[in-house]
Amino acid sequence: MRLEAVGKRYGRGGWVLRDVRAEIAPGEVVAFAGGNGSGKSTLLRILAGVTRPSAGAVTGRPAVVGYVPDRFSPVERLSAMAYLTHMGRIRGLTTQTASARASGLLERLALVGGADSPLRTLSKGNGQKVALAQALLVEPELLVLDEPWSGLDASAHGVLAEIMGEVAGRGGAVVFTDHREAVTRARASRTYVVDGGRVVLQGSRTQPPLTGVVLTGPDTGPPPRTLDWQTLQGVRAVHGGETRISLTVERAHADALLQLALRHGWSVVDVTRGVDE
Amino acid sequence: MIALIRYNFATTLHTQRYLPPVFLFLGLLAVLTVNGGGSLPAAYASAAGALFVSSAWLATAVLGVDDPAQRAIVVVSAGRSLKVLLASVLSVLLGCLVLLVTGLVFPLWMGSYRLTPAGLLLGVEAQLTGACTGIAIGLPCSRLLFRRQGHALLTAVALLMGTLFTQGLPPLNRLLRLMATTDDPARLLAPGGAMLLVAVALLATATAATQFLSGGKP
Repeated sequence: MRLEAVGKRYGRGGWVLRDVRAEIAPGEVVAFAGGNGSGKSTLLRILAGVTRPSAGAVTGRPAVVGYVPDRFSPVERLSAMAYLTHMGRIRGLTTQTASARASGLLERLALVGGADSPLRTLSKGNGQKVALAQALLVEPELLVLDEPWSGLDASAHGVLAEIMGEVAGRGGAVVFTDHREAVTRARASRTYVVDGGRVVLQGSRTQPPLTGVVLTGPDTGPPPRTLDWQTLQGVRAVHGGETRISLTVERAHADALLQLALRHGWSVVDVTRGVDE
Repeated sequence: MIALIRYNFATTLHTQRYLPPVFLFLGLLAVLTVNGGGSLPAAYASAAGALFVSSAWLATAVLGVDDPAQRAIVVVSAGRSLKVLLASVLSVLLGCLVLLVTGLVFPLWMGSYRLTPAGLLLGVEAQLTGACTGIAIGLPCSRLLFRRQGHALLTAVALLMGTLFTQGLPPLNRLLRLMATTDDPARLLAPGGAMLLVAVALLATATAATQFLSGGKP
């Protein structure tokens, strides 16, 4: 998929995006990093095919696209299950298949609050899980995620990272935005920086050596303090809960992570060099 | 397409946005035809006028249920934005068919008209003309093109008034004037059919224009 000299402006206003050139290959995880109002969301809407560019062209967009917008606000009286079943039917699934697929995804993402409760009763994080589920009802060839970690808890962070890896592993492309450089660097194989409507390739990365770290809470005394592991520099995957956690981290950042974990009351159970992601 | 129509019905029913246009239709129908006087074409002209205004409101209601972010999800899920828009138009038309049946039966219940197949067919033609013309106005005045409800309302009222009251303007004003002044429904079937075709063409044009203009919106 390729963006060729893409520009976007609304009416006679200024250019939100200008002369954007980017390439997204199958099996690749591509990040668009940038601050608030930089044009990331507009770019993702163009990539997903929701908005028409004012200039240039998007070529090679796959047929099956999953899209998670930066804000999720469906009709709030529908339950999560009813909403996902409708979305599945719109994607061409039968009612039974859509319900089964929705149920499996909500279970995997650990939706709290009930699949049959109205969407308005769900927290922001659980609403985000429903938003993710609707994009995965049919295996996407292009998964477009706008600030996907917003509101998600630590365990859902890990599941989302797994899902992104699975989509890329099947030969699909994943595109996401985040304003945190540590997140885009850790997750993406190619990162573009969006600033003032211009998009610049920051770089592709080859796979750095990884280290596995297993941490636990102390046997006695107060429990360890919670950290937002996903946002720490070099962290690639997080598994586990509040008292025992398993991390995959880039080797160059492992020592700093261990120091931080010890300062926050965690004990080191195991450190393994040379693990796979 | 059926899945999209089911989704439209589910969301519109859950939000209850259909209630104001439905009550408006029933209120106008009752006020305009409750005395049971005049000819049957004149009574059906009143029903067509009521459905014209209500269908425009119903179109804006159905298209306004989803906010832009949710509509983007539906468009991506369906694969094409035109498919989503056509499903919305069909959903509104299906809703209007329910009102149309009420508009056919209510005048017969209130008055003592001589019912003929031509009279009934004219009632269907006239109300379909009103519904298609109303939806053609409701589409471009919906949330798809207007972010500010006040501007959308003013534009819709101006278009509705202009279409309804400009003397001799096809399709609606010309048809309603003919129906108010002619007692024999059989004589009005041909001009009624022609006006229905004009209304369908108007609806197709409004759908295409809305689709084109909404593609560049945020």
